[in-house]
Order: sequence, then structure tokens, then C-alpha cells
Amino acid sequence: MGRFAPPLLGLAAAASLGLATWAADQGPALPSLPAHPLGAVTPAGLLAEIIPDGAQNAEQLRRGQALTIAGDCMSCHIRDGGQPFAGGLGLNTPFGVIYSANITPDANTGIGAWTNEQFYRAMHEGVGAHGENLYPAFPYPWFSRASRADDEAIFAYLKTLPAVKYVPPANHLPFPLNIRFMVKGWNLLFFRPHDVQADAGQSAEWNHGAEIVSGLGHCGGCHTPLNFFGAAKSDQALQGGDVDNWVAPNLTANARTGLGAWSVDDISEYLRTGRNARASAGGSMAEVVSYSTSLMSDQDRRAIAVYLKSQTASPDRAPGTPDPGAMRRGGAIYSDACASCHLENGVGQPRFFPPLGHDAMLQQADPTGLEHLILAGGRVGPTATRPSPLIMPSFAWKLTDDEVADVSTFIRNSWGNQAAPVDASKVRTLRRRLGLQATHYTANSGDQG
Amino acid sequence: MAGTAGAAVAAARHDGMLGGPPQTFTGAVPWQEGAADAPPGVSGTDFIFFTSAERAFIEAAVDRLIPPDPVGPGAVEAGVPFFLDHQLAGQFGQGQHYFLAGPWSKGTPQQGYQSRFSPAQLYRAAIPAIEKYVAATFNGAAFSKLAAADQDKVLKGLESGAINLDGGVDSATFFAMLLQNTREGYLSDPIYGGNKDMAAWKMIGFPGAHYDYKEWVTRHGERVPYPPVGFKGRPGWTER
Repeated sequence: MGRFAPPLLGLAAAASLGLATWAADQGPALPSLPAHPLGAVTPAGLLAEIIPDGAQNAEQLRRGQALTIAGDCMSCHIRDGGQPFAGGLGLNTPFGVIYSANITPDANTGIGAWTNEQFYRAMHEGVGAHGENLYPAFPYPWFSRASRADDEAIFAYLKTLPAVKYVPPANHLPFPLNIRFMVKGWNLLFFRPHDVQADAGQSAEWNHGAEIVSGLGHCGGCHTPLNFFGAAKSDQALQGGDVDNWVAPNLTANARTGLGAWSVDDISEYLRTGRNARASAGGSMAEVVSYSTSLMSDQDRRAIAVYLKSQTASPDRAPGTPDPGAMRRGGAIYSDACASCHLENGVGQPRFFPPLGHDAMLQQADPTGLEHLILAGGRVGPTATRPSPLIMPSFAWKLTDDEVADVSTFIRNSWGNQAAPVDASKVRTLRRRLGLQATHYTANSGDQG
Repeated sequence: MAGTAGAAVAAARHDGMLGGPPQTFTGAVPWQEGAADAPPGVSGTDFIFFTSAERAFIEAAVDRLIPPDPVGPGAVEAGVPFFLDHQLAGQFGQGQHYFLAGPWSKGTPQQGYQSRFSPAQLYRAAIPAIEKYVAATFNGAAFSKLAAADQDKVLKGLESGAINLDGGVDSATFFAMLLQNTREGYLSDPIYGGNKDMAAWKMIGFPGAHYDYKEWVTRHGERVPYPPVGFKGRPGWTER
């Protein structure tokens, strides 16, 4: 199981020995049970393994582990059904599909043969082991803020992980983007490598939060809007972006669409458990919480919250007025299809079924996240504190594009929410992009043939 | 980032599929974005199972079982023949949910359906047998051409088992299935083709396919004001 032989293993061995002895005393032998198939550790379990005091470089490895967690390396460097850190997840960028690399210590397919210097250059300059330019889907513009010592700690920690022999698929990028050399030009225009400069006017906690948020944590990778070339718009930092057909909401102090109404405790609880009294972490954020923020220390989460609460509110735009017909139809749909969990008055069951009133996520200028959630359903990221991955069902089979648009418009303009109406043609496009024109049955729909 | 949650989930399911080996889940509860257990509704207006003669019998028979009156629509008006047609053409008709192998003993009512016929085979065998009986009894007339009182007489004879049918069809067994299926078509969700405009639900005051009535648990003696809603909604969802 563990690479550091946790004491639990001994306990399990003793217990199974006891069972064998008991079975032997019961007369006729029981049929022998097959070996338990779960040799693999869950991704979160691997990240949470305790590095024992006796381990070599224990101090450096623990630092590397904490930084690997802060950097949320797992979310991208694992594919469905794959091994932790073996990569192969296809990232849908506006320019094409880019597959994450194998960063296990396998010498041939991973980073086992890399040197400290090569790893540092990848993290700091976006350059691979052979001098090739890495695509900025790998968030080196943020990672460049990590120090050389940090990178060495991460590298040392990654080298203790189980090596996996696996070659990720080739990227699907159109010409000329498939020429890595092109990235050099992108770097010249948009890439400013730098180490973190502490702000002496701010508290140590704030500076620690800044280090995570705008460094390894690369929050802006999703939460900052991108320009035409896929580079973060630095003048709109953390004002919300879109990623993989979801919306990464505004994290500035904007009271309507940002974190203006959230307290430091609200943010910390959300990062620790995936839920708080206002919201639940779904979409891509579910994995960020499961593999990164829920495994951080309380100090780290609090520092992030303190830093985020200091962000200047983004300018607010006046939302359009919804059509009364859409509100009436949307209200009817809400009452029949949504109110059983979220209740007629939208108050839901805090921490289980998110309340919908005065909600930042629902009021984002771009309603793609809400449309996506209604069409495809969603899953709250499981965490150690809240292990049940609560699920919102998919409504793609039940609601037409017009109905999704109307109920979205209603939700975005009820119980204190105010946001632009939703256009049915956008829902149609999203439904097509998600491949949900026909009903997809679950694995358990045995009687659907 | 992935479309499906739960990376490194090591597997799938054992969902009762014949021959499917049991599988084990690790990591996280499996969940697939966009997947749902949608009910298998029907579409279109064309009949695909009944012949025109069978359809004429069914329309006449179900409209005697549930005739139109001032309280509510008749079975034909509610779309019951269309419902029956599509059910008999599908999994229900093939008896996929029945054990149809022998032995075929008579059984007691408590032992349920004992026929060797699948529902589709039963309808297909029973209707011509009934028409043969009707023609012999009423000077060559078809069931649909009989006066309502005579139609009722035939239906009662089928119900009691007093009428003997050719082709190994037990008349009481067929009547019981026809009556049950007619009720199902009249009262089930409109996505299956019957209960047109949810008229049967309006008649009995049933609010339809609501997930639950949590907010009404403590409100005794009040009328739930919801208009009926089906799996695919109600007019209020789309009225411009």
C-alpha cells in the first residue's frame, strides 16, 4: 500500500491472520477468498500519505508534498481510470486538446531521468527536458513564482511516488499551433517569469495567501479571463474565466458575482470541505477541492481566504431585464423540476442542496456554468470531511433548450439574484458541445436495454 | 477537469446484466456527466402493432371499459389505444418481465399471470377469437358494430370466463389484462402515449410526477394547488 509502510498495514496483516486461524477452527475449510483487488491507492489517499520522521529528507519531502498539493498537480496529471500522476488527461483548450504529461518517476515515460535543473526549467521557464517549449496549458506562468528550493522539494517528492510506465496520447492541435516553437513567441509576448516579491505593507498571512493564489495554486489559470491568445488578462485578475464549458466565477470582492458576501470562514470551509452554507464545489472545482485545497493545512486555506478577500471588486455591469414570459415559464419549471431539493423559496438545504438566493455563481455574466449544470448534472467533490459526493441529476433528457433557458433566466433573477437573461440558442450550442442531444443512460439502467 | 468525475475509479458495475462479471469500485462513487435514467417514452402518432381490425376492436372495447362522461374523457379520447399499441410493440408486449416457460398450470389468482402467451401474443390470439365468437352470436357482426349493451354483454362474458374462445385463449385472463392495461393507459404519464393532456389526472386531482411533497408534510387538510405535471412537463412550461 504505502511507500512508507504505514503502521496500519501491520494491523491489517494481523487481522487477516486472526481470520485465517478462526477459519481453520471452524471445521471444513472455507473457500479461499480472492486477493483483495484494491492494490491501488486513491489519488487523494496517495497525496495524504504521512511521510514518517525516519524517511530520508523527511523535511524536504513534506514540503514537496505540501507544494504538490497546493499546485493541484493531480487534477490534470491523472486521466479517468488512470494512475496518479501518470498524465494522459485531455485538456480542452480553445486551441485544441493538449494531453497532460506523465510526471511519475518512470525513467522512460515519466520524469525519472530528469535532473533538478531540468525540472526547474520546466517549472520556471516552460521548457521540457530536451529544451522543447511546453504549451502554457501547463501553468508555468504561475509556477515560475515558486523558488528553486520549492521546485527541488516538489521534484524530490514526485520521485518517491510509484513509477508508472505510460505514454500519454499526442496532442491534437491545428497547424501552426502544433509547432512548439510558436510558444516562444507567446512567451515573449505574455510570459513574465519572476519569483514572489513579498509585500511589506501586508501581513505575513496575506503574503502567504498571495504566494499560493498567484503562484503554485495558479487560481488565475481558470479564474482570470484569457485574451485571444489564451494568456491571462493581468488587468482583470481573478474576475472570472471559462474553462472546459464551465465558468470559473469571479473571486474579487464584487458583492453580486464575486466573494464580496463571503467571509474568510466561508471561503476556508468551502476549500476544506467542498461546501459551505452558500455553495458547493462542482465542475472542475470539485477536483481542485478533492485533490488540493481539502488536503492543505488550515493556515494555507485561511491565507488564501484572507488574500482573496483583499481583491478589489470588479466593476459591475447592469444586467438586462428578463422577459416576464420567460420568468413565468421558468418559475413553473423551477417549481416542478427543482423545488423538491432547492425548495420553492430557493433556500435549499445549506451544505447539501445549495441555496440559490444572492448567489455569486448563478449571477456570473456568462451563464454557461448554470446551463452546463442543468443539462449535464453535477457532482460535489468528495473530501475527508464531507465524503458523500452529492449529485445533481442531469436534466438534458427532460428539459428542452427553451426550458433550460427559461428556468436559468428565472433562477438568475429570483431571490435577490439579478443577471442577464439566458438565450436558448446558447443552450443548444452547449448541448451539442457536450454531446447530450440524445439521452445517455447510466451504467445502472439495466432495463433500458 | 475531466468530464467524468472520479479519476482512477477502477471500474464499473454489476447491474444484473446476464453474463456481466461483478466489478469493483474504488476511489469515488462513479458518476457520469450527462447520464440519466430517463423513462422510455414514445413518440409520433402512428400505430405500429395493431392491425386495422384489431384496432377497431380495441377502440370499441376500451371505450366501454372507460366511457366518456361529464366527469372525464373516455379511454379513446385519452389515447389508450395508442398507448396499448406501443406497449404491445415494445418490451411489455414481448413479456420480457414475465417468466413464460412451462409448466402452464391453471394457477390461482394469487399466483399471477400463468399463460404461455406473451402479452402481444395474447392480444393477437384473443381478438380474432372474440370476433369469431361475436360473429357467430350476432349474425356476422363485428364487435365494434354492436350496440353498447351487446358490447357490454360480451365483455362481461369474457370477464366471468363464461365465453369459451378458440386458439387456447382463456377469456378471463385476456379480459383481466385488457382492463388492467386500459387503466394503465388512462392514468399513466403522458410520455407513454395515454392520459392525453393529463385529463385523467385532472379528473382525480392528482398533481403528477412531483419528486416529493416535502413542503406539504405538515400541512394537513389543505388541497395541493399544483396543476398536474408529467415527466416532460406541462403547458405552463412552454406557454408563450
